[in-house]
Amino acid sequence: MPRIQLIKILLLAVVVAAMINGGMELYKHRHYQLPIVAGPGVTKVSKLSEYCEGIKGTMADTNVFFLEGREPGGKMLIMANTHSNEPAALLATLIFMENAVVEKGTLILIPMFNHSGSRNTRPGDGYPLYFEIPTDWGSKKFRMGNRDASWLDQWPDPDVYVHYPDRQLLSFIDTRNTNRTWPGRPGGPLMERVTYAAMQIIREEKVDIVIDVHGAETMFPVTNCIVAPEKSMRIATMTTLTVKAREKFDNHVEPSPSGFRGLSHREIGDFSDAMPFLLEAPIPFLDQPTGPKTVELLLDGKDPFLLSLSKKGLLFVPYDETGWPIEKRVGQHCSVIQELMRQFTRKFPEKTIAVQNVPKYADVVKNGVGYYYHNPDETDKKSVYFN
Amino acid sequence: MQIQIGIILVVMIAAYVLAKAKKLSVEISMLAAAVAGGVAGVFVQTPPAGQLARHLIEGSFTYLDVILVFSTATIFMAIVNESGGVNYVVRVTIKYFYNLRIIALLLLMFIILIPGALTGAGSVSLLVVGAPTALALGYLGIPNRKVAAILFIVAGLSAAAPPVNIWAMITCAGTAIPYVGFELPLAIPVLILGIFTMLTLGWKRESRMDKQAVLQEMPEVPAKMSWWRVLLPFLVFFGLVIAYRIWPFDVPILGLPLQFVAAALVAWLLSPKKINILKLSSDTMRRLLPLLATMVVVGMLQQIMTITGVRGMLSYAVISTPLILLFISLAIVIPVSEGVLTYGAAAILGIPLIWFLDSIGLHATVALSGLSLLWPLGDGLPPTALIGRLSVMVSDYKGSYWSFLKSTWLPWIVITVVGILMVVFSAKLDFLVRWSM
Amino acid sequence: MPLIMIIYYVICVYLIALLLWNFIKEKKSVNDMLLYLLVLIPLILRVLRVK
Repeated sequence: MPRIQLIKILLLAVVVAAMINGGMELYKHRHYQLPIVAGPGVTKVSKLSEYCEGIKGTMADTNVFFLEGREPGGKMLIMANTHSNEPAALLATLIFMENAVVEKGTLILIPMFNHSGSRNTRPGDGYPLYFEIPTDWGSKKFRMGNRDASWLDQWPDPDVYVHYPDRQLLSFIDTRNTNRTWPGRPGGPLMERVTYAAMQIIREEKVDIVIDVHGAETMFPVTNCIVAPEKSMRIATMTTLTVKAREKFDNHVEPSPSGFRGLSHREIGDFSDAMPFLLEAPIPFLDQPTGPKTVELLLDGKDPFLLSLSKKGLLFVPYDETGWPIEKRVGQHCSVIQELMRQFTRKFPEKTIAVQNVPKYADVVKNGVGYYYHNPDETDKKSVYFN
Repeated sequence: MQIQIGIILVVMIAAYVLAKAKKLSVEISMLAAAVAGGVAGVFVQTPPAGQLARHLIEGSFTYLDVILVFSTATIFMAIVNESGGVNYVVRVTIKYFYNLRIIALLLLMFIILIPGALTGAGSVSLLVVGAPTALALGYLGIPNRKVAAILFIVAGLSAAAPPVNIWAMITCAGTAIPYVGFELPLAIPVLILGIFTMLTLGWKRESRMDKQAVLQEMPEVPAKMSWWRVLLPFLVFFGLVIAYRIWPFDVPILGLPLQFVAAALVAWLLSPKKINILKLSSDTMRRLLPLLATMVVVGMLQQIMTITGVRGMLSYAVISTPLILLFISLAIVIPVSEGVLTYGAAAILGIPLIWFLDSIGLHATVALSGLSLLWPLGDGLPPTALIGRLSVMVSDYKGSYWSFLKSTWLPWIVITVVGILMVVFSAKLDFLVRWSM
Repeated sequence: MPLIMIIYYVICVYLIALLLWNFIKEKKSVNDMLLYLLVLIPLILRVLRVK
């Protein structure tokens, strides 16, 4: 065989081997099933597709959990993984799911709102595929997702995304971003159907308060805060003041800009009677000027470059050698959500939402996040759902 | 950690230099840098050993859609060229505008600006209209080297021009700034700089031929070729692009590659001469190979730079530069980042830069518009030099790449100065944004 | 799967066929052989719905 043919075969073998090795990792990630334990408060489990036929049978469909109280009251919807690369949101929502007992009103939880995004990775950004949270019974393994839905589920992108219904021009990437496609429409691109389905939940179930849980870079001015439109502003302000006074962590309020369309905190308020809130906790992992994108950085938030930038006053959150551990971020979300509930109940007593058995900031920081998760192998199989 | 990342960066640069010294191509040298960086990273678990292949493979997807646009757009234009359409257009342009030089130059400028402005990709401008405009500029007495320079600068400006500016869009998506108010801050400098470029590089007629002699020298056009046969495929393409803008909620999202495929099919059906589409496509892919491979390898490189921390360290170095020095260094840093990472540069430097500039009271939209003028310059710089290489390719310039690049010096400097001044005085120029809305 | 997405997979298959054909026909340049293989990676994995 001529030498050139040998080289050709060798090259082919090397590239195919790398393709199989790397491709298998990516395939396994997309198909990894995360067991979710439905706690004692879960009374009904539904699918998002029940509110919009157009996502049935697609990777965009996801579980919707209802925690109905013994007595009627207000209704709160909590959504996590709108951006699946901001994991504190999912971790906090699962704490509610596995532990909350609702006495009055109803909690509706969508832990993986952009389900396709949670099964996607981010080319060029070198994320880890998984991260693990230590628990008393071992560790719980989570997929690290992407901000946007997968091209395998929604393809192609347009050259520019025209927002429905305002016609505002947005980046082509945002066609797959479920925090730009609100309020959505039943026949639009898949991610518009996802947000439309959520709008249908809000309208049909007469939801009073919607919380979209996120994480944001430490260099982003809109971080460590509650983003709220005019109608939610008072409750948001009271919440930040209260958590600061009682639980000793900072959390400010940012107004939802009326000229920036497609965001949950804007469109939900404009297209339904519900009050929307978007929670941001700092996530150093997403900042551009950081060291390697490792699981450690994702979970402890410690980075020497950010520390240096902090000393130069370039970050929008306090930052020291302790970083921003996941316990702090998850704990903040837990406390802020419960305080929003309490403030809402104070303002509308006839729509009380009363929830027990969910830890606060100090509890999560002390016990760790995994402390609140149950072993799916030791749980009644009927209570284990896969997402 | 900084020393560890610094060593990995040195290993990557050394691998690139060594590969180039061994006379390997730019693409393979960049691949060598990515693999070497990844292997060096494995020693410190960034990435873990078992994940290196995954990172390289995952990185190869970063610009997959760009690869599809390049492929389909070039096959479309190859069909138009093969059918005689390109020669037909050039012949008509020369026939009517040969003696109206300024009008001919401005007309050609708009022809290059429009596809890039609509799609956000200067490469699309060059792939779609680059060859005919290059021929027309040549017949207007402009030497090949300057033709390539004009194409490079104007195609770069077309990518920056509104309505679609991908650098601004990527940065907006990452910084949570709406992509609105960019029309005037982008259109005004693009038009002024475009006219300046056409006049400085194209005004002087360096060889003079009689109009009839030019027309005689031009390649023959198939007898059945006509206006509608040339125009219809382009109307299909632009019609589909514009239809989505006018009726976004009624027209399905087709995406640029499918829009080019539709135009290509129309061009193929309307061609007055028989075209072997398989052979033509295969030849086109062979011609495009270095560019397509560059997009794959840049994605891999970007992924490895991120997982090893090199990307973050470079981003940190830029952000922590003192303000005055930062403004001056934008002239180098922005184009060089584009030359290494293409669109990835907008995310890596654009996002933290815009947050930083916004926090010191500058106007994010105008500042981003200013940066958007600088990024396309980097598309002429190695290692990727995407638009530069395309400009040389479509204008059929056979001289050295550096001599082509040198001939862009005057518009390059003026664009740099305008871009930086827009950043520095962005707060004072905010009326441009208000007027756009 | 929506029709437009199916067409995109068809486009990818067409490009894969062209690149593979060129790779097979390439007898001289090792550089080009490797470049063909590199460009094929994302296209093939997309068609296989891996990524």
